[in-house]
Amino acid sequence: MIESTPFNYRRLIIWLGRIVIAGFFIFAGLAKLIRWDMHPHPPIGIATSLFALQIDSYQMLPPWTVLQVARWLPWAEIAVGLLLLIGWRLRIWSTLVTLIMGGFFIAVVRAYTLHLDINCGCFAKPEPLTGMTVLRDGSLFLLALFMTAFAFLEARKPHPWSGAEAPSA
Amino acid sequence: MNRRLILASIAILALASSGTLILVAAPTPQKVVKTSANAKTSVTPLSQAPITVDGVKDIDPDKSYGSKSAGVVMETFTDFQCPACKQLYTTTLQRVMDNYVDNNKVFMVHRDFPLPMHAYSRVAASYARAACHIGKCDVVEQTLFQNQEKWEVNGDVKGTVAGVLSPAEMKKVQALVDGGSLEPLIDRDKQLGQAVPINQTPTTIIHTKDGQTYPVVGYVSYDVLKTLLDQLVK
Repeated sequence: MIESTPFNYRRLIIWLGRIVIAGFFIFAGLAKLIRWDMHPHPPIGIATSLFALQIDSYQMLPPWTVLQVARWLPWAEIAVGLLLLIGWRLRIWSTLVTLIMGGFFIAVVRAYTLHLDINCGCFAKPEPLTGMTVLRDGSLFLLALFMTAFAFLEARKPHPWSGAEAPSA
Repeated sequence: MNRRLILASIAILALASSGTLILVAAPTPQKVVKTSANAKTSVTPLSQAPITVDGVKDIDPDKSYGSKSAGVVMETFTDFQCPACKQLYTTTLQRVMDNYVDNNKVFMVHRDFPLPMHAYSRVAASYARAACHIGKCDVVEQTLFQNQEKWEVNGDVKGTVAGVLSPAEMKKVQALVDGGSLEPLIDRDKQLGQAVPINQTPTTIIHTKDGQTYPVVGYVSYDVLKTLLDQLVK
């Protein structure tokens, strides 16, 4: 008889991570492309250029790289967010998300410690980078890290649906 | 072992939910201090009256550059004592002046936004404004930014300005600074910035002919700014 997946805290973290991080990623990607904070909404090309200016204010990357990141990151955020929600090849996408979150976290910590008076750029709207930004990105990075670790640990165990049925008495 | 993992999971959940709450609920911090109560709202024009270009009001003609019919107005709020402002002025804005302002594609407006945390930025703004009114804007703004590290330590703004002006020019500048007639113009710039609101310097507001505004916060490199300007001036 097929049973439902048994509940445990690892699965809870995986599910929570998938929903929360996917939500953040999809929202962040759309916000960068659509710019809900601007009326009328600018064309995608201008929205991308504005995002490039926000990345550039971190003063971490050369201009060519800044422009490429600004062009592709919003789409990557949406795609990876959707893939996390779907759950297909979870270990691959959760690893990628963890790496991206790690990159974001390093960038905000660096900007914060250098006292750069800049906007976060996380959700495109003008949002000064503060200690709260560091805390938020750190929390999401930790969640992504645990989600990925647990996804690998859970994958080692046989799936309850694929296990042999117990012999009936 | 299991207990540790459960505790760690709870900690992550708490952190993640607090992060989410912060994202949703946290108000934008305001670094800008309100204008002093005795700040005048009226502007006393000296050499020329303030102008309006594409809806951008109260532009001091002595602190603006380019053709008024340009497709884009770039309004930059800076503080002479802010390192990022120095970086923006000496690199990016100089190239924008050469490639967009001189070609009548961009009309550039310099706004003063001296921050209270900087001891000498207001004095520097006063001297720069006075120099602009005698036609020596570029040279004085440039020297103030380039020698920022020196005068911000010893407070010798006057000596820095005097180093690039003739004695006669310096006398005029000093008279304007001492007279205080330019202070309302600086106050007005600051009020306009607070109305945006400007939270940090440098902040550049890019205005297009169709009334759209694009805020650019902090230092940005010329090559990246160029991609935006090229789309806007088309």
